[in-house]
Amino acid sequence: MKPLELDDVAVHLGDATIWRHATFALEPATITAVLGPNGAGKSTLLKVILGLIEPSEGSLQVLGAPPARGNPRVGYMAQSRHADSLSSITARDYVGLGFDGPRFGWGRSRAKRDVVARALELTGTTHYADQPLSTLSGGQRQRVALAHAAVFRPDLLLLDEPLAGLDLAAQAEIVELINLIRDTTGAAIVVVAHDLNPLASVVDCVLWIARRQVRCGSVDEVVNATVLSELYGHPIEIFTTARGRRVIVGLEEEFAHPHPHGHDHDHGHDHEHEHDDLDHAHDGVAPEAP
Amino acid sequence: MSVWQLLSTPFVQNAFWAVSAVALAAGAVGYFVVLRRQAFAAHAIGHVGFAGAAGAVLAGLSPIFGLLVFCLGAGLLIGVGGADLDDRDAVVGVTLTAALGLGVLFISLYSGYANATYSILFGQILGVSSRDLVIVALLSLVVLVSVSLTYRPLLFASVDAQSAAARGLSTRVMSIVFMTLLAVTTVVAIQVVGVLLVFSLLVAPAAAAEVLTRRPRDAMFAAVVLALFSAWAGLFLGVWLGGPVSFWITALASSAYLGARVRASLRRRVQLSA
Repeated sequence: MKPLELDDVAVHLGDATIWRHATFALEPATITAVLGPNGAGKSTLLKVILGLIEPSEGSLQVLGAPPARGNPRVGYMAQSRHADSLSSITARDYVGLGFDGPRFGWGRSRAKRDVVARALELTGTTHYADQPLSTLSGGQRQRVALAHAAVFRPDLLLLDEPLAGLDLAAQAEIVELINLIRDTTGAAIVVVAHDLNPLASVVDCVLWIARRQVRCGSVDEVVNATVLSELYGHPIEIFTTARGRRVIVGLEEEFAHPHPHGHDHDHGHDHEHEHDDLDHAHDGVAPEAP
Repeated sequence: MSVWQLLSTPFVQNAFWAVSAVALAAGAVGYFVVLRRQAFAAHAIGHVGFAGAAGAVLAGLSPIFGLLVFCLGAGLLIGVGGADLDDRDAVVGVTLTAALGLGVLFISLYSGYANATYSILFGQILGVSSRDLVIVALLSLVVLVSVSLTYRPLLFASVDAQSAAARGLSTRVMSIVFMTLLAVTTVVAIQVVGVLLVFSLLVAPAAAAEVLTRRPRDAMFAAVVLALFSAWAGLFLGVWLGGPVSFWITALASSAYLGARVRASLRRRVQLSA
């Protein structure tokens, strides 16, 4: 039984087709990177797997069954947000909510304390477990969020942008932790990301979503000039640096201007923010400097 | 009569049990009001209750029935329409205004004794009858049992709505659950402190507790303790020194919040200089 199996799945929201003809399967204990431009439907894929959005066509099996809301074998880590609503609770309490937060009633699990302690230990968060989340750094908070998502040992773990907003060193640490979680729990892990490079050393598969299409395969099968050029419909080149990083040339439009209307090609101050974003988040799989 | 003799009179005894029941429910639900940043909704439901009470008085019914119908209705409206943070304030504001308008109409139609209106607005704790007390106690019990049963999912959905939804907790359902609890709690709190001062028991103790503690269970416990303290001490001071009990309760609860903030900022300063 595969953790995830899609056969010719299409998703429509209203009149718009988000993507279609998605056919792929994931194996247990693998890491899959989901890449593609903003708005391509990466988070939508996660919502479909979680049973929050129903696919319009095709068949989808999650751990051998149709997707269902609240599947107790599927873990999920949301995109990090500002911490104001999390401020008054400690990391330990937040991880505890990952374990029994969805459960109504009086029943208290005796195992909870041990399970939470083990998740904190696995993620290296024990020594700040009793601090309020608002006092933690971005990287620390992402570690706690991973502990929250993995605390009940899901067989399929979905991570939405776990590397967003982190510096390169923190990204590397989180990637190492994701790898550790895969090794210790045997979960199939799906990671939505903006950049392949920080993940390249640990991923088994790449899912690339662009222009309403989904390509799946090993890194070399998907991240090559032929496949990406076909996917985007214009020539794309890939260079590998001396340290093995991939630099993709030809994706400027998609990365810098996810919403093509209303943008000119003036790289003035208006776009400063987007370029900041590029420099940090897309290190490597990014357009050449303007 | 000495203050001790006063305290043993039936109306003060009733008041004592009523404030205790209200403080328990308000402290517990108040924690979620503060955590979910929904003080405005709590405020609005109280005012909607005013229209309900005025309507009930006009129809010759006990105000508590009007309170229940209007508060629950408003809670449901806000719970359904304001599940998403984006349009919550607008939904709350429009519900509030529409209900207050109705309240004005009801009062203008009512030609009777205006004292009923006054007691709804400012509370009339020393006038709680034995029958009112039974209703207040029962409703508080219902709220406390419901909070204990929904505690974890409510906390999860309040702290991290997105993850909670992914784990099968509908944001809308949790919003409705919360607003229903808030509506019932508001109805009982109005019996004690009135529409205008509902915050004193519902928000001030919980806000102070959130400043003073880190863990949800501690915060909820502290909120209940502070609400009970404000209610008991307020009742005692009202009987002993005179003045409206709701004034004393409000003064004490607000002071607790102020004290918590001062303590927290002093601590921060000590930490910074250390």
